[in-house]
Amino acid sequence: MIIQNALKSITRCTGRNILIGIIVLVISVASCVALNIKNAAAQAETEGLSNIKITGQISLDRQKMMESFNPEDAASGERNPENFRDMFAENTELSLDQLQTYASSGNVEDFYYISTAALNAADDIEPFSESSSEEASEDTAEAETNNPFAEGMPNGGMPGGQNGGMMQMNQGDFTLTAVASESALTDFINGTSKISSGTIFDVSTADNNCIISSELAAFNGDLAAGDTITLANPSDETETYTLNIVGIYTNTSSTSDSNGMGMRFSTALDPANNIYLSASSLTAIAANSESVGTTSTDDYGRTTSTAITTQTQGTYVFADVDSYNAFGTELTSLGLDENYTLTSNDISSYEASLVPLQNLSSFATTMLLIVLAVGAVILIVINIFSIQQRKYEVGVLTAIGIKKWKVAAQFVTELLCVTLVAVIVGAAISAAVSVPVANTLLANQISSQQTQQQSVNDNFGRGQAPAGMPNAAPNNGGGNPMMGGRGDMFNVLQNADANFVDKINAVTDFYTVLQIILIGVVLTIISSIVAIIFIARYEPLKILANRT
Amino acid sequence: MSLLELNNISYNYDGKKNVIKNVNYSFDKGKVYAITGRSGAGKTTLLSLLSGLTAPTQGEILFNNVNIKKINKYDFRSRYVGVIFQSFNLLPHLNSVENVELSMRASGKKTPNRRQNAEEILKKVCLDDSLAKRRILKLSGGEQQRVAIARAISYEPEIILADEPTGNLDSATQDEIVSIFKSLAHNDGKCVIIVTHSPVVAKAADEIFELAPLK
Repeated sequence: MIIQNALKSITRCTGRNILIGIIVLVISVASCVALNIKNAAAQAETEGLSNIKITGQISLDRQKMMESFNPEDAASGERNPENFRDMFAENTELSLDQLQTYASSGNVEDFYYISTAALNAADDIEPFSESSSEEASEDTAEAETNNPFAEGMPNGGMPGGQNGGMMQMNQGDFTLTAVASESALTDFINGTSKISSGTIFDVSTADNNCIISSELAAFNGDLAAGDTITLANPSDETETYTLNIVGIYTNTSSTSDSNGMGMRFSTALDPANNIYLSASSLTAIAANSESVGTTSTDDYGRTTSTAITTQTQGTYVFADVDSYNAFGTELTSLGLDENYTLTSNDISSYEASLVPLQNLSSFATTMLLIVLAVGAVILIVINIFSIQQRKYEVGVLTAIGIKKWKVAAQFVTELLCVTLVAVIVGAAISAAVSVPVANTLLANQISSQQTQQQSVNDNFGRGQAPAGMPNAAPNNGGGNPMMGGRGDMFNVLQNADANFVDKINAVTDFYTVLQIILIGVVLTIISSIVAIIFIARYEPLKILANRT
Repeated sequence: MSLLELNNISYNYDGKKNVIKNVNYSFDKGKVYAITGRSGAGKTTLLSLLSGLTAPTQGEILFNNVNIKKINKYDFRSRYVGVIFQSFNLLPHLNSVENVELSMRASGKKTPNRRQNAEEILKKVCLDDSLAKRRILKLSGGEQQRVAIARAISYEPEIILADEPTGNLDSATQDEIVSIFKSLAHNDGKCVIIVTHSPVVAKAADEIFELAPLK
């Protein structure tokens, strides 16, 4: 009887039901689109990371060291800068052996490393520079004397830290990047760099074969495969090493830009002056330098050497984020000091690429809550008016002996039927409009984000960043800060060209339809409670007497 | 044993002055009763008490010797009493036959061919098929009164209560309605209680119960 009466009432009182239906339709379309955006954003966050290989590095967490370190002398109780220097001197980067020990973890899928060293140009080669060679030399000299990080530090750099290696390169004209496996040549794997002539060196032999950039080759009178170049120890110009060029490579990340060059302290940081060779070759060079180098003791009592020093950075490859997180936890149990931390450029880059999506998701959540709150209030008000209008009907139905709960159930059923139809139609409409609406909103968010970043860049006087830089690409294979010439600090400030997630698949799935139906049912119940309270209070005799 | 019995019934609204006081009367099957009296004598109040729409503040109403307080008031109204209201109280968004069917469903009686039965009942009160499918607001006053009667008798209650059933009708229609009530009482054995001002209707009744206004 309840359902029969409800259906009859719906078909006969179309005006009221169409009004309620339209309101529920608007609520359901808005809610459905918001839910689709939220679900798609959540999906993109989890699936995006699961679809990319995560690479991570173990580096010194200087901030943590600073926080936990007591700079005061135990005896005098006064702050002593020496204590800081000693602390940083004691905590250096992990050795290759240590890095390889951790690589044996079951969570690590692959491990590769690069060793870097800075060498100066000997007589037969000049480092690539956009300014004239004389100016370049002056710049280099000036950078060496003015570099605040170099003063008083061994080899002019700060030990450890992700950007420490970059600072240490300031002294030389060239960066020698040595690899023990081709997987470490991430720039060649992701296509940033490409051999344009000649071939790659044999990564396993110490034959001093190397590849140089096309800019450097052109700068020095079209050097080609088969030629040799001579490099010198920056601390001892008489100590020279001859490298055989076996290939020339082009590197898209070495494209000239005012920002990059302006920020570089040394020509060694220019990607064009990056020389690749095998790890065995560099190890042999370092070993030779060690044997011929001299040592001295500075004012602070620390021993420094003229030998070429190398910096090694290992990169761990993980199958997924879970393995990455598990490895981070496992490191402590494997004996890694708490001053070291596992970081991943992939994850931070990916998180940066998700910012507009997260903003959109947050906007969608707010929109959902507002729509539901406003929708619930509107439905309650309409129900109150509706019940007032149907007071007579309640009076008649209860007067002929239909119980109040049945009358209330009939009214709730009517509302539920109208709501369900509107929700299903709304879900169908949102299925059609969700994807374009979501992507349009996301495009607006990206545009807003880029405008904001561009404004920051303008404020810093960096002007327009060039398009196509791979610095924030989530799949850049680790984004080694030593190789690209720009560290992470630049990425944070300059990622106007970041590869934001600009498409989301905000489709209406079965789960969303269920959610929206549940929302419809909850809204119906909330707005029906008012109707039920009114019906419970009505007495048929009073209603009919008043009408008479 | 009377079908319906009033024992010392009094009623007041909200604890104020009694509208009816110490009323005793009994109603039997197969008779037409006319409740008459001046305006304000409590005729409609008495009808409300008899139909279970409200309960007496004092005394008891016995239906088949059972106090109607002990019977669910919704069940009492939907099964044992058929009420024809002065303003008909039909649902305007339904047509005639649907209004009749609604009461049949409310009574909970199992009727195999409900629609057919409803149409037959409407024919009994002189409403043909075309009028049966017409919306209430498109019917005349007399036709609406007939639908109200059909609705009241559709589930075959033992008592039929009518409040001023001929108040707005012309004399010819009034006669037809009165004859329907007489037929229900005399042929079908129903107890028909009519609240009326009309001397013609009162004269047609088997018994007249005159309510005197309280001083």
